[in-house]
Amino acid sequence: MYSILIKQFFRSKTVVLAFSILMVLGILSITTGKQFLTQKSAVVVKTIEKQKEHIKTQTNLHEDDLGLLLYYLKFSFIKPLQPLAGISIGQSDLNTHIQNVSILNLEGQKYDTDLVNPMRLQVGNLDISFLIIFLFPLIVIALNFNILSEEVENGTWKMITIQSKSSFKYLLKKFSVRIFFVFIILGILFLLAKLILDIPFSIDFFHIIIVSYVYILFWFSVCFFVILLRKSSNTNAIVLLVSWLLLVVFLPVLINNYITNKYPVEEAFAMTIKQRDEYHKKWDTDKKETMDKFYKHYPQFKKYGVKNEGFSWLWYYAMQQMGDDESKVEREAMYGKIRSREKLSKKIAQFFPPLQVQLSMNDIANTGLSHHIEFLNATTDFHEKLRLQFYPKIFEDQPASTINWNAYKPEYFKSTSDFNLLKNMLSIILITLFLISTAILKNIKFFN
Amino acid sequence: MKKQVIISIAKQFFKKTFYMKGLLLLLFVFQAILIYITVNGWNAHEDHDHVIENHQDKARESWENNPDKHPHRMAHFGTFAFRAQHPLSIFDSGIESYTGNSIFLEAHRQNTANFSEASLSTALVRFGDLNIAMLLQLILPLIIFFIGYSSITSEKENGTLKIIYIQGVSMKEVLLGKSVGLFLVSALFFIPSLVALWSIAVTDDHSVGNAVIIRSFLITVSYLLFFMILCCITVLISAKSESSKKALLTLLGGWLLFFVIIPKTAQVVGNSMYPNLSKIEFRAAVEAEVSKKGDSHNPNDPYFNNLKDSILKVHKVTDVKQLPFNYSGFLMSKGEEQTAVIYNKQHRKLIESYRKQNSITNGLVLLNPYLAIKNLSMSLSATDFDTYVSFLLQTEKYRYEQSQYMNNLQMKFISNKATSSEGKINVVKSEYWKSAPKFEYSFIAIGKTLQNQLLAIITLSVWLLITSIIMIKFSNNFKII
Repeated sequence: MYSILIKQFFRSKTVVLAFSILMVLGILSITTGKQFLTQKSAVVVKTIEKQKEHIKTQTNLHEDDLGLLLYYLKFSFIKPLQPLAGISIGQSDLNTHIQNVSILNLEGQKYDTDLVNPMRLQVGNLDISFLIIFLFPLIVIALNFNILSEEVENGTWKMITIQSKSSFKYLLKKFSVRIFFVFIILGILFLLAKLILDIPFSIDFFHIIIVSYVYILFWFSVCFFVILLRKSSNTNAIVLLVSWLLLVVFLPVLINNYITNKYPVEEAFAMTIKQRDEYHKKWDTDKKETMDKFYKHYPQFKKYGVKNEGFSWLWYYAMQQMGDDESKVEREAMYGKIRSREKLSKKIAQFFPPLQVQLSMNDIANTGLSHHIEFLNATTDFHEKLRLQFYPKIFEDQPASTINWNAYKPEYFKSTSDFNLLKNMLSIILITLFLISTAILKNIKFFN
Repeated sequence: MKKQVIISIAKQFFKKTFYMKGLLLLLFVFQAILIYITVNGWNAHEDHDHVIENHQDKARESWENNPDKHPHRMAHFGTFAFRAQHPLSIFDSGIESYTGNSIFLEAHRQNTANFSEASLSTALVRFGDLNIAMLLQLILPLIIFFIGYSSITSEKENGTLKIIYIQGVSMKEVLLGKSVGLFLVSALFFIPSLVALWSIAVTDDHSVGNAVIIRSFLITVSYLLFFMILCCITVLISAKSESSKKALLTLLGGWLLFFVIIPKTAQVVGNSMYPNLSKIEFRAAVEAEVSKKGDSHNPNDPYFNNLKDSILKVHKVTDVKQLPFNYSGFLMSKGEEQTAVIYNKQHRKLIESYRKQNSITNGLVLLNPYLAIKNLSMSLSATDFDTYVSFLLQTEKYRYEQSQYMNNLQMKFISNKATSSEGKINVVKSEYWKSAPKFEYSFIAIGKTLQNQLLAIITLSVWLLITSIIMIKFSNNFKII
């Protein structure tokens, strides 16, 4: 029985065409991912190199003034990209993965962007996650929309109801052939991705695969549901394509627009002005006041006292510190807005499988917004660590030569992914089950 | 060709289309969405405008409120430039979500433009932007395909094509009539969108000048051309296909290929062919060239020592302290001049590599009318790459002038014996902060935009011409039976 169904399946030109399109685009998307990863890791190598050079030139130029030297010195903090980022590039192409900071006011440096062509960002990436979310559903629709209606229209369905024991089982078999081969194709793509992108067999990779399969099953269930409405092939095609257009193209755009307008992040501008003003104001205000605030933040440095006359690095760095310290309210308001955007996105996405899958994949591959915020926070910690190391040395006026500069190599951000598969996939699984069971219940009278 | 016949075929097609179940509903939904997008977009634009203006004022206010200060302190106090949006961005937001909205402009340092909308958004932003152009560029073509795919095939399948032919109607007239009919139906969809465009153009308080009217006019013409091409292609494909099903499949496949796959692939290919420098490499390239030329911060630098010697000679003094102006101000102005030249050179190179990356897409405009309308629409809406580059160049120009303004103040008013910028001794009066010019952003001139997009405009016209020729050629060889 199956062998005949499989033969029949592959006799259709659509099938061969659909599968070859998937393979070609699949390879293209894996290459895109590979190219992306290669470019990013090449930059990491350069960063390590440049930091070494940079420290060398600067320490030579300003060896007798540590305060001045650290005004110029920049230290790199790197977020290494996992190979999985090649599968789901997410937001990692527009958010920088390397921070390059001096111990001055951090808020003026933390949000500097990388140099990326905005046209490329706007068009978006053709990575595997795009292929799965955007194109696979179309293929599933093309393979399934007429599996019942075609037989009815050609008059073969009556024969089947007479000849086979259960026409429902026959339909299921036909359906399972399609599921099987689409799954195989997806499997091949993941295998290729694994080999080309050097992805280790890890729980994360496993999660991405499961998420993808669940999503494909969701689309099969949509097709199953529509097919069992028993309308004509034309109607099925239109209904399925419109649902695809709504779910994958239109609603995501609408939802994003809603979220963006609901939470505009104007606090970013307020914060950036504030951090500038608060530092610069200190040049014209009472020195003691600035120092008091500084010592309140760092009581351990109180012993360095307050010098009222003239310029001192102690006072200078205290002023810089105030830029960060006194823009805290605005900064927290900004992060609050970003968190609200994230929360709302996650909440709404539950009801829309394409969104849920995109967010989940980015979460797993560490290429989403929340991950970038973690990186920004880690940058703050990294920066604080540097400050605490250098502050006392500057305040004590130690010569630059006493510091072992070779120890200052770029540091890496260690990320933790806490993706909960069941929690994220539950809604899609429920929707899928709902569609299948409704379709079966509605048709129970037709099947024996 | 008889005009009468074409008109009556078009009319008949128009009427017949509305027998289709759901079309009126679709039209209604489409326009409801249009209204939502327009109103929503308008509000968002107003809000954005407000935010930008507010913060620009706030930043300026704190600039002006600075007390008497050393001018170099003011040079580092710096200015923010917040990027204003063109009112037509409501119609087509182009790359707006991906371009930085705020840039900090200070002495001898070129900062990046930060806080793009996308950098503050979740991954949902990558599904696309909601605006009128998106409806017209992505959704309406699909609707046209759905309405028109069976325009000829259904007549063939019903055998009515033969009857029409026997009545003395030529194939040319049938194809043209159907195309006109399809265009009329699609007009019901896109005319309200164009009305929305014009209401944006007219309601705007002309803060951006009269160019908005010319822009809207050109956008209107471009979209009319685009939809004419689409309608002709739809009818042609229907005529060439054996069955309605095949026609629909071809059209949908074409949509996927031309509207989604090609644009994405072209940009990926461009990027891998012409990779641009990363920020670290870019900075390093600038620094290397600066230190080759001479570092004004280095007291032993030969280039600046030469400069010093010649300056001393001209003024016939032996020490910089005897010069009639503040020497470190002079030194900084020379340094600024030099780094600005070097930075601008590197920046031009960077923009050039972006342009090369885009050149694949821009070249494909010839083969893909979707890319042509996409580029044209965002250029005319002042939300394209060139507009952004022009913003960046304007900010850099302003930054340079502001720094030199401060350096000049320092040369003029600060004593040559001053050693520090700290305290109330070596200061310039605060009225000079108020008289420093503000940053005024002006959108790229419409003439320049047209020059950049000439290829796209020509392409659309040529496409219409070619489709018409194919239509005529094709009808000559068309076998009715």
